[in-house]
Amino acid sequence: MITKNFAYHAPADLHGVVTALSAASGTAVVLGGGTMLVPDMTHGKTVADVVVDLSRAGLSGITLDGGGGPHDGPVADDGVSDGRVADGRVADGRVADGRVADGGVVVVGATTTYAHVLSDPRSRTLAPLLRRVAGGVTGGPQIRNKGTIGGSACYANPSSEVPAALVALGARLRLASAGGTREVAAGDFFTGAFATARRPGEVLAAIALPAPTGPCPGYTKLKLNESSWPIATAACVPGPDGALRVALGAVAATPLLVTLDPPEAGVADPAWRAHVREVVDAALAEPWSDVLADGDYRRRVAPVVAVRAVADALQQAEGES
Amino acid sequence: MNRIRLVVNGREREIEVEACKLLVHAVREDVGLTGTHVGCLTGDCGACTVLVDGASVKSCSVLAVQADGAEITTIEGVAGDDELHPVQRAFWDEFGFQCGYCLPGMLLTARELLDRMPDPDDDAIVQAINGNLCRCTGYGSILRSIRCAATRMAASGEPAEEAS
Amino acid sequence: MTVTTSGKAGVRAIGSPVRKADGPALLTGRGRFLDDYSLPGTRHAVVVRSELAHARIVDVDVRAAAASPGVVLVLTGEEAAAHAGPIPHFIEPAARGGRHADVRCLATGKVVYAGEPVAAVVAGTRREAEAAAALVRVEYERLPHVLDADAALEQDAPRLYEEWPDNVILHNHYGTGDVDAALAGADLVVSDTIRISRTTTAPIEPRGYLASWDDLDGTLTVYGSLQNPHQLRWMLATSLGLDETAIRVITARVGGSFGLKMQGHPEETLVCLLSKLTGAPVKWIEDRRECFMAGAREQVHRFTIGAMRDGRIVAVRDRIVANTGAVSAQAGWAMPNMSATTLASGYTVPNVRAELHVVVTNKPPLNAARGFGKDSAHFVMERMVDLVARGLGADPAEVRRKNFIPPDRFPYRTATGLNIDSGDYPGLLDKALRVLDYDALRLRQAELRAAGRHLGIGLAFELTPESADGPGSFVSGFDVTTVRMTMTGGVTVYTGVTSPGGGNDTGIAQIVSDELGVPLSWITVVQGDTERCPSGFGNFSGRSMVVGGGSAALAARDVRAKLAVVGARMLDVPVDEVKVADGRLRATGDGRSVPVPEVAAAVLTRAFAIANDVEPVLEATRAYKPGNIDHVPDERGRIQPYPTYSNCLHAAVVEVDPETGVTKLVDFVMAHDCGVIINPALVEGQAHGAIVMGLGAALSERLTYDADGRLTSDRFKTYLMPRAGDLPTIRLEHQVTPSPFTMYGNKGAGEAGVGGAQAAVANAVEDALAPFGVTVREVPLSPPAVLALIDEARTR
Repeated sequence: MITKNFAYHAPADLHGVVTALSAASGTAVVLGGGTMLVPDMTHGKTVADVVVDLSRAGLSGITLDGGGGPHDGPVADDGVSDGRVADGRVADGRVADGRVADGGVVVVGATTTYAHVLSDPRSRTLAPLLRRVAGGVTGGPQIRNKGTIGGSACYANPSSEVPAALVALGARLRLASAGGTREVAAGDFFTGAFATARRPGEVLAAIALPAPTGPCPGYTKLKLNESSWPIATAACVPGPDGALRVALGAVAATPLLVTLDPPEAGVADPAWRAHVREVVDAALAEPWSDVLADGDYRRRVAPVVAVRAVADALQQAEGES
Repeated sequence: MNRIRLVVNGREREIEVEACKLLVHAVREDVGLTGTHVGCLTGDCGACTVLVDGASVKSCSVLAVQADGAEITTIEGVAGDDELHPVQRAFWDEFGFQCGYCLPGMLLTARELLDRMPDPDDDAIVQAINGNLCRCTGYGSILRSIRCAATRMAASGEPAEEAS
Repeated sequence: MTVTTSGKAGVRAIGSPVRKADGPALLTGRGRFLDDYSLPGTRHAVVVRSELAHARIVDVDVRAAAASPGVVLVLTGEEAAAHAGPIPHFIEPAARGGRHADVRCLATGKVVYAGEPVAAVVAGTRREAEAAAALVRVEYERLPHVLDADAALEQDAPRLYEEWPDNVILHNHYGTGDVDAALAGADLVVSDTIRISRTTTAPIEPRGYLASWDDLDGTLTVYGSLQNPHQLRWMLATSLGLDETAIRVITARVGGSFGLKMQGHPEETLVCLLSKLTGAPVKWIEDRRECFMAGAREQVHRFTIGAMRDGRIVAVRDRIVANTGAVSAQAGWAMPNMSATTLASGYTVPNVRAELHVVVTNKPPLNAARGFGKDSAHFVMERMVDLVARGLGADPAEVRRKNFIPPDRFPYRTATGLNIDSGDYPGLLDKALRVLDYDALRLRQAELRAAGRHLGIGLAFELTPESADGPGSFVSGFDVTTVRMTMTGGVTVYTGVTSPGGGNDTGIAQIVSDELGVPLSWITVVQGDTERCPSGFGNFSGRSMVVGGGSAALAARDVRAKLAVVGARMLDVPVDEVKVADGRLRATGDGRSVPVPEVAAAVLTRAFAIANDVEPVLEATRAYKPGNIDHVPDERGRIQPYPTYSNCLHAAVVEVDPETGVTKLVDFVMAHDCGVIINPALVEGQAHGAIVMGLGAALSERLTYDADGRLTSDRFKTYLMPRAGDLPTIRLEHQVTPSPFTMYGNKGAGEAGVGGAQAAVANAVEDALAPFGVTVREVPLSPPAVLALIDEARTR
C-alpha cells in the first residue's frame, strides 16, 4: 500500500510533461510503465509528492528518422528540438543488406513497451536486439505489456538487461526539460547503480539508435532461474573493421563495454578465450554483487557470456550471408 | 480524490480514488470484486492480474487513476452469463488449479494468449504463464488446461471473443 | 451459472478423477478467501517488528503513531502482556524431553529475532495503519546475536533464553544396533557432511485473520486462513483466558498452506486481543515480506555409512544439528525430530544411530512445512546411498534394490522404531527405470560426455510416514465426521479435517457418495468451523483422506443402515435384501426401488408409522482410528506414531553447464505408491506440487539473511521459486500396494516429493559432474554453488 498520497498528472503531450515537472513542488517522479516505480512506492522505497505519468503523452512507437523508413504516430519532437548529433549516426555509411537506408536513426519512444517492440514487425529490422531483449524479459506478458525500454533505462537497475543493450547499440537518450532537449550517449547515461545522467526536471523522451547496418547483434543472458533477475548479459555488435563491441550487463553497477578481437580460430580456441577473459577481467574493476550472486560469481561468468554473445553474433552473421 | 470511470466486465463504473491507490485495491474495495487476489505487491506473482483494454497487467503495479477510461476484465468477467468460458472449463476438467489463489492470473493470461494466438505451441503457453507463480500444481496441469482449451475452441470454431 | 455435475450413474466415485467441487466458485472469482471477508466496522492492524536479531527493548514510543490519522490503538508488548498470557505450544517441547520458552503475541523485555512482533497498530484503514506503524519508535539495547546453529552450540555463544543452560531446545538419540561394530566390519565406510538450506513454503496467499469480539455476550469469532481450527480455538482460549465455548473459529478458503498455516503464530492471539481491546472487528493480512520469515528445513548432517562389498548397507550414523531459529508456539521446531526418526528410510539397515541437536538461534522460527522433516531424512539417506554406490563402483539403482525392505517382510520395524505397513519398493524402482528407459539413458549420457556435455541421472527413494499421532498432543491420528441427510435427501458432511486447497473435500464427498449410495451432486462438505463441524484436528501429515475419509465412511454407513431398515419395509423385503445406489434403494431380488429422498422423508415424517421403533435421526457422527499406531514403548523404547507409509521413487535427469553452473532439468519421473487411490487426479496434483517444491529447494530456493540477521530474500525475485519455464514435463507412475491398516487401503498423499526431488536432483548433479569428481554437500545447487563444487573438486 502506498501510504503517502501525491499529486498525479497525466499530460497529453511531452510539452505538458516537462511543464508539469518544472512546476512540481517537492519530489516529482516520472511514471513510465510503473512495473518498478509502483511497487517501490508501495514499499516506501520511493516517496513522491508529484507523479507525472507518461502513458497519455503519446511517446510510444518505433520510427525510422532520416532513413526514409516508415513513420507512425507522434514521436519525441512535440515542442522539443531534435538534438541529434553526428556521432549518433551509424559510423559506417554503407547500406546494410538493403534493409535500411544509410545513416538513419531509429527512434524508440520513451513509453514503448516490450510488448510493442515484440508486436511491431518493424522492430525485426529496426531494433532486432531490443526485440530479443523484450522477448526474454522476466515477469511474463503482464510485465511486457506495461514495462518500457525507456523506463528500464531510467531505473538503471544494474541487474536489468536494457542498459547494456543500449550501450551495445550506441544509443543516445533524448532528455527533455523545460529548458530544451539534450542527448546523452548511453555510455554516459548510466552513471551508477540506479543512477543516471537524467537531471531533476528532465524526462526521457526517446531513445535514438543508429539504424542497424549489419546482421542482428549476438545476445546471451544468464539467470539463476526464471524468477531471477539477469545475473550476466552480453550483447555483441560486430563492427565494420571486424572488431567486436561487446556490452556486458548486470555484471557491474553500470554496463561494461569491451572490444574483443575476432576469434580467428573459432570461439572454442583456448587462446582467444584467454584473450576474452583477460579483456573482460581487466574491464571489470568492481563486479556487481547482490543477494542472488556475489561479485566473484559475476566475474567468473562475465567472460563466459561474452564468448557466447560473440558466438551468437557470428552465427547470426553466417545465417544471413 | 480523483473520480475515474472504468468499464469493468462490461459494466460502467465510476469510483472515487486517491491517486496513490493501486488498481488491485480499487477493483477489490471500490468496485467490490474480490476475485482478483493480492499475492506479493511486487509485481512478481501474478495473482492480481486483470486485463486492461485487453492486455494483461499486474494490477498491483498500476495506479487506479492510470486506468481512468479503460475497460477492465477481471476473473469475474471471464465467464459468460450462464456458462463457463472454455478456458475455465478446461481448467476445471484438467485440474488446472488447487487452492485457486493464483487462478485470476492463470485464467486471464491464458485468455489473453488464446485471444491473440488460437493455436499456441508449448513454448508460447509456458511463456504466457511464466509471470504467474503457482505453489500447488507444479504447473503441468495448468499447461495441459490451456492446451485443452485451445484444442476445444479450435474444434468448436468458437473464437475466444465470442465466448465472453 | 449452470455447471455440469460430476459423477455418472452406476460408476463408483471412489477411484475416479472427479473434478474439484469448488471449481465453479474458484473459476469465477467467487471463492471467499480471508481478505474477502468484511464485517461492518472492520479495522485494520499492522504489526511493528523488530529490526534487530537480539536486543533488549528499552522503550517503545507510540506517541507519534497514536496521533497519526485514523489510528484507534497502538499496543505494546507490555500492554499486551496485561491482557494475554503465553501462547501454548502446538507441540510442547518440555513434554518431549526438551526445553520450554514462553512465547507471547508481542515481545516483552527483549526480542530474539529480526521480525519479531513488538507492537501493533489498529486504524480505520490498512493504509493509515501502515503509515502509523512507521512512526512507532523502539529503543533497543543491542545484544550479541547468533545465526548459525553450530556457533550457537559453542560454550560462549550468545544465549537466547537466559533461563536455559545453552541454546538447545531438544537433544535426543534415536535408533538401535551396534553401529561402531558394524562400521568396523564394513568393507566401505564413507563419512561426509550435508547442509540443507533454510527454505519456506510460500503459498501464494499469505496468512490472515479477522477477529470479532462481541462485548455484549463475551464471545469471539475468528476467521482465518488456517489449517487447524479446533486446535486454534484451544490455543486462543488458553492465551486469552476465555472458555473454549466462547470462541468460534471459521476457516476461510485457504490459498495454499503447506504447513505454514498450522496454528501457533503470534498474530492469531494478537488480532483477537486487538479486537477485544478496540471493540471492533480487526483484520490483519500478512504481507509477502512477513510471509518469507517462516523458515523450514536448515539442517546439517555429519554422517558415516558403512557397506559391504556386495552393496549391503550395514550401518548409518548421523549427527544432526538443526537450526530452528527462535522458539515459536508453532510446530516447526519438532520437524528435525522426524528427520532423525525416518532415517534409514525404506532400507534394511540393522544398525542406525542418530544424534539430534535442535538448536535455537536469532533467526526467525521454523514453521511446519510440507515434509515435516521427513524430507531431510530422505535427502541425506539418498545422498548416502549414492556415495556407497560410488565408493563401490556400483550402479546406484542396484545398490538401492539390494537394500530395499523386501515386499514380503512387511510390516517391517525399522531400527528407529517405525513399523512400516506395506510396500513394494523394487516394484517402484522397476517402474521408474522403465519409464526413464534407464539403460538407454546411460548410453546417451556416455555419448554426451564424450562430446563434452554433462548429463546426469539421479535416483531417490522416499518414504513418507503419514497421518501422525503424537501422544498427549493435538497431533491426532484420528478424526471425526458427521453425515447428515435432510428430509429431501440432501447430504451435508461436516468433517474435522480441513482442505488448504488440495481438494480432500471432493475426495470425502466421493467416499460418502459410494458408501451412502447417493450421487455426488447431492453432497455438500463443510469443513473448518468449530461450531458446525465435530471436534477434529484439521489438516496435516497427509491425514485427511485416511482419517477424514475413514470417519466419513463410517458415518455414511450408519445413515445408510437406517435408510435400509425403513426402505426395506417400504419395499416389503428383508433388510439384507436391499442395497442403496445412485440415490435409490433397491430390492436385490426383483429390482423394485424407491428413491432415497422418499425413504428419508419416511424416517423423518413417519416416525410413528413405518419408521416405528427406528430412532428418527438421519445423522451419524463417527471417529476413525486407523491401525498400526502404538504408543506403548517397545523393549528398546521405540514408539510407532504412524499408521501408514506412502513411498515413491524419483528419477531426475539434468544437464549441467560447467561454465556457468546452471542446472537444467531435462526429465523427471516419479513412481508413486500411496496405496488405494480415492481420486487419482487429486493425488497426482499433490505429487506434482510437492515435487516442484522439492525441485525449488534443490536448485534455487533459499532464505538469506544479512550478518545482522535481517531477511534479505524478501520477495519472489530474491527467493526464487520455480516457474513454468523452469520445469520439464513431470511424469508419474502409480503403483498400488494397499495398506492393511486403513479403511480403504489408502495411504497419505501430499507430502511425498519434497525430499525425494531434492535428493534425486542432488544425485543427478553429482552424476553429471562425475568427470570433475565433485561431491554434492548442500542444497540449493544454485549456479554459484555448482561452480564452487567444481572448483573444490579441482583443487583437491
